[in-house]
Amino acid sequence: MNCVLEGNAVKAFGKAIHSLSRIGDELCLDPMSKGLALRSVNSAHSAYACFLFSPMFFQKYNLGPEQGSETVQCKLLMKSILPLFRCLATVERCQIQINTPNDRVKIQFFCRHGITKTHDLCFEESEALQAAFASHLCPNVLKAPARVLGEMVMHFPVSQEEITLSITPLRVSLRNYFEGRNDHMKIMYTEMSLHPDEFDYFQIGVESNITFCLKELRGLLSFAESHCLPVSVHFGAAGKPVCFSVEDMILEATVVLSTLIDSESPSQPAETLTVAPRTPTRCADVVPESPGEAATVPAGMELVASSQGSPIEDPALLLLLHHLSEPHYQERANSTPASSICSLLFRAKSPESGEGLPVLACCSDEEEAEEEDVMMMRSPTL
Amino acid sequence: MPLSTQSQGDAEQYVLVASLDNARNLSNILKAITFKDHAIFSATPNGLKVTVEDSKCLQANAFIQSEIFQEYTIKEDSVGFQVNLTVLLDCLNIFGGSTAPGVSTALRMCYKGYGYPLTLFLEEGGVVTVCKINTEEPEEPVDFEFCSTNVTNKVILQSESLKEAFSELDMTSEVLQITMSPSQPYFRLSTFGNSGNAHYDYPKDSDMMELFKCTKTQTNRYKMSLLKPSTKALALSCKVSVRTDSRGFLSLQYLVRNDDGQICFVEYYCCPDEEVAED
Repeated sequence: MNCVLEGNAVKAFGKAIHSLSRIGDELCLDPMSKGLALRSVNSAHSAYACFLFSPMFFQKYNLGPEQGSETVQCKLLMKSILPLFRCLATVERCQIQINTPNDRVKIQFFCRHGITKTHDLCFEESEALQAAFASHLCPNVLKAPARVLGEMVMHFPVSQEEITLSITPLRVSLRNYFEGRNDHMKIMYTEMSLHPDEFDYFQIGVESNITFCLKELRGLLSFAESHCLPVSVHFGAAGKPVCFSVEDMILEATVVLSTLIDSESPSQPAETLTVAPRTPTRCADVVPESPGEAATVPAGMELVASSQGSPIEDPALLLLLHHLSEPHYQERANSTPASSICSLLFRAKSPESGEGLPVLACCSDEEEAEEEDVMMMRSPTL
Repeated sequence: MPLSTQSQGDAEQYVLVASLDNARNLSNILKAITFKDHAIFSATPNGLKVTVEDSKCLQANAFIQSEIFQEYTIKEDSVGFQVNLTVLLDCLNIFGGSTAPGVSTALRMCYKGYGYPLTLFLEEGGVVTVCKINTEEPEEPVDFEFCSTNVTNKVILQSESLKEAFSELDMTSEVLQITMSPSQPYFRLSTFGNSGNAHYDYPKDSDMMELFKCTKTQTNRYKMSLLKPSTKALALSCKVSVRTDSRGFLSLQYLVRNDDGQICFVEYYCCPDEEVAED
């Protein structure tokens, strides 16, 4: 792949990388015919972000001879690439080339005064991970200018890990969330509410309180504010992932975060964490989405146990899940809900060559998924 | 000014007296070469030279001409001593190093000669502090034998363009490679770090390039750990000259303007890390 960005686009690109660095330690560059996707996943697989830049974003965008067959996805260390995009004041143009034969990404900055900076970074070929999220099935949808959301979260200290978003037909509120602490006297509780009229779009299907990690969201909010883009929020009941997205003509950005499960409703099973590397399977062959079901696992897919006891493949992830559901999380004096992190579903991309539009979200109805081009980032029609 | 009310009798004993209305004109430039504790002071009627060395491979010199001082008296052709540079800087900043305009620390630096401490009289806002710093036998600084007749390649760049490159240098690289050539890439800084290679190219016709005189293509590598301290001098400077000689030795000369706009120089000499075959 070979692409060229000019001045302001380089800054936006850098800002996207900065936002992604809030999520994970690795950055995945995924050149596709519909654009260049930058993705990051956190180590707990509870946060996923994707910035997709359409070919129009670039001055020049060429996929190499790999187009048609397996396109190369490059995994880079965030700490290798983030510093390159820090000082962009003098950058006039940036060229990014992915050379498969020698496993290198070449990033060249053409700066003022004729100065050129060339960086040759090593990458690892990897399978792209994508979160499967059916945003069109979410009962609750909000859309507001980035500034509105930014002003709401501004009241929480930078150290605040998690916040709870509550929605009722009469209001939307945000409050800080603390897990079972005994030092109530030392905590400052903050809550703010907005009337539904404050939102460009307000749809409530089910009253809910969702708790998610604020830190991982801040990157996207700051990106959205700098581009003056409205932010859409798709969510449902506690335990289901929440999706924040922005889009304009030339780029789309999404952050999908898992939310804490309400431990007081035992009927709601924990969702299976499926880490799905890209395999040449069609979407229909993929593990069914309904949680708790015994899964038939196609070759090449990993399945990690939920607290419901499905078969384990990755001991490290299992340890993480067990740690999260340790007793001390459940035995708390106060009444705030949730005892374990609900993780996201990840799904293989169907790499049909020439089609160029991999399925980003699979719904529970498999036939629908094959026919519909479901885009996770599509905003609801107003 | 209280410092000038010292008895005249005292003044006769000193072989060196140097005074500054603003001690920052000395402390700022000394900070640019503080990568080791000990500094060799060498004073001549021309001015003050302060030298810091590292493992005989790196040498930094700061030059403060006699004209910079409000008072500069030297009774011998050459006066030399060695002091702890960190202690000296602490003393020069003893009033807290305030940067408020119009507020500055005045300095009178006095030395009686061999065996005597270096005496500093510092005054700010009517408060006087006297510091006496023990001196040591000055070591002979290494002579890098870098002479202009042996220089093969020389460029002068505006510091602004190099500052960004030096702040971004991949510190996981053990070496900094400098390529100078009459043809492409003209002037190139390269690093070879854990995540990959980086090259910073400055073309000869860049408007940041004030002088470009390269006679032959040379590529030399220098230990990153040795050159990293020079970033402080770069940060203070407005222009830098980069020269290499036929042996691959590197000379970096920085033009520094002090608070009062006067010019001082800092230079760094560095041995090459290994011989790289010249193209």
